Amino acid sequence: MSRSLAVDVAFVLFAGGAVVAAWLVFRTDSMVRAAYWLLASFLGVGAVMVLLHARFLGLVLVLMMAGEMTIMAVFMVMFMMNPAGLNPMTMVHQHGSAKVAGLVSFAGLALVGIVAEFPDRPRTSDADPTAELGVELLGDSMLIFETAGVTLLATMIGSIAVASKRGRFGDAEEGSGPPPLEPTARPAPEPEPAMEDHDHEGMHHG
Amino acid sequence: MNPVAAVGVVGGVLGAGAYALAVLDGAAARGVAGMPRRWADVVVEPARDAALLALTRRSTTERPDAQAWALAPGLLAAMAGAAVASVPLAEGFAVADVADGIVLFGAAMAVVMVGVYLHGWSANSPFPLVGGYRFIALALSYEMPLALVLIAAALPAESLSVGAIVASQAGSWNVVRQPLGLPLYLVAGMGLAFWGPLDGADGADLAGGTAAEVSGPARLAWELARRFVLVAVALMGAAVFLGGWHGPVLPGAVWMALKTLALLALTVAIGHRVARVRLERFVVVAWAVLIPLALVDVFVSGALAL
Repeated sequence: MSRSLAVDVAFVLFAGGAVVAAWLVFRTDSMVRAAYWLLASFLGVGAVMVLLHARFLGLVLVLMMAGEMTIMAVFMVMFMMNPAGLNPMTMVHQHGSAKVAGLVSFAGLALVGIVAEFPDRPRTSDADPTAELGVELLGDSMLIFETAGVTLLATMIGSIAVASKRGRFGDAEEGSGPPPLEPTARPAPEPEPAMEDHDHEGMHHG
Repeated sequence: MNPVAAVGVVGGVLGAGAYALAVLDGAAARGVAGMPRRWADVVVEPARDAALLALTRRSTTERPDAQAWALAPGLLAAMAGAAVASVPLAEGFAVADVADGIVLFGAAMAVVMVGVYLHGWSANSPFPLVGGYRFIALALSYEMPLALVLIAAALPAESLSVGAIVASQAGSWNVVRQPLGLPLYLVAGMGLAFWGPLDGADGADLAGGTAAEVSGPARLAWELARRFVLVAVALMGAAVFLGGWHGPVLPGAVWMALKTLALLALTVAIGHRVARVRLERFVVVAWAVLIPLALVDVFVSGALAL
């Protein structure tokens, strides 16, 4: 098999696989499976980027997305109160608006694909795309990327400061208590203050 | 390189490394237990254990995610193979010394996290699930130091290729030039393969963690896969920090093998001598101590490379 034919076959496999995996995100019934089908789709896109000689970008996409999708799966499981994420639950909702949004975005992207004039500047194979990317990031576009980077970093630090257990607004557990055993409309009661003789008892047992 | 030969080289390195690791581990276990080391036994024992696992019946759980469960060891083994392919085994001999080898290693090791979590999650059983979550907490803590020490190692070479990083160590090895690099890398590497003190994912305190419900050939595949990851970590460590093929008298491939075995032996010794650390303490240490140390490593290495 010639080299260019092998590249073409690999492109069709990875690109088709990315589309199928992206479709499966919505066909599966578990948050963890949905997150990892999305990761599979990104892996296909990363492989296509490697085939397009954007090796660094393709590999970084895989590196970032493997971590991101895992964190996303964990957060979804935490917020959904579904301890393992294995319980079946539907991954699609708001069917009407979802269909409209899907059709509009597909039509828009298809229009761009058909109408837009893509630049056609063949490069020699000895060009180093990683070095060019570095020059671009730290050269002409440095102000844009550094502004975005510092803003994101400040956002992360700020959200940690607000959300951490001993954060900006005091102890996160202040005023919270265990949920009542009987269903009730009232909020959970304040926890009982710890009894003084609790430690005393503990010492005898120890 | 011919694709068949490439698969053979990667498989051979991983297989030989995993067997050597098992032999070293058996010898160290006997040493710690005060048992006599009968080398004939020590050398045969891994093969005997593997054969026993291969012939044991496979167990299953109620409604597992069978595909993801079967995928997990394959994912780990494939990522270890990808990492091994990017490391030059001797001067000018690598399966694929790609220009972004260090990034490839980082990407492959990030996917390992997915494999371990899936292995714990898909069993549909409490202990494996807890093991999977433990691994995520561990992985999010070691990823940053791992990436930073590898970046620091790439700075003097002015290249992301593993071959260029080895070539840049002709004068002095990175373990001397960047004394913080190898210790931090080994901590991260033991986390990656959930080995020894950082074995939270498959720990005995969780009845085996992610592997608690796995037996028979599937268990064999999993134990092999995590050893493949450790072998890939040791091979990359030997290339990036211990000067790779550089060394007097002996040929480069022999030096590479010796350095990899030395790192494996060190990992095994730590695994048997250091107690398992509590994960919540490790997370604090990783973010408050290891990441700043890795940043110091990057800044000092960068300043020296200028």
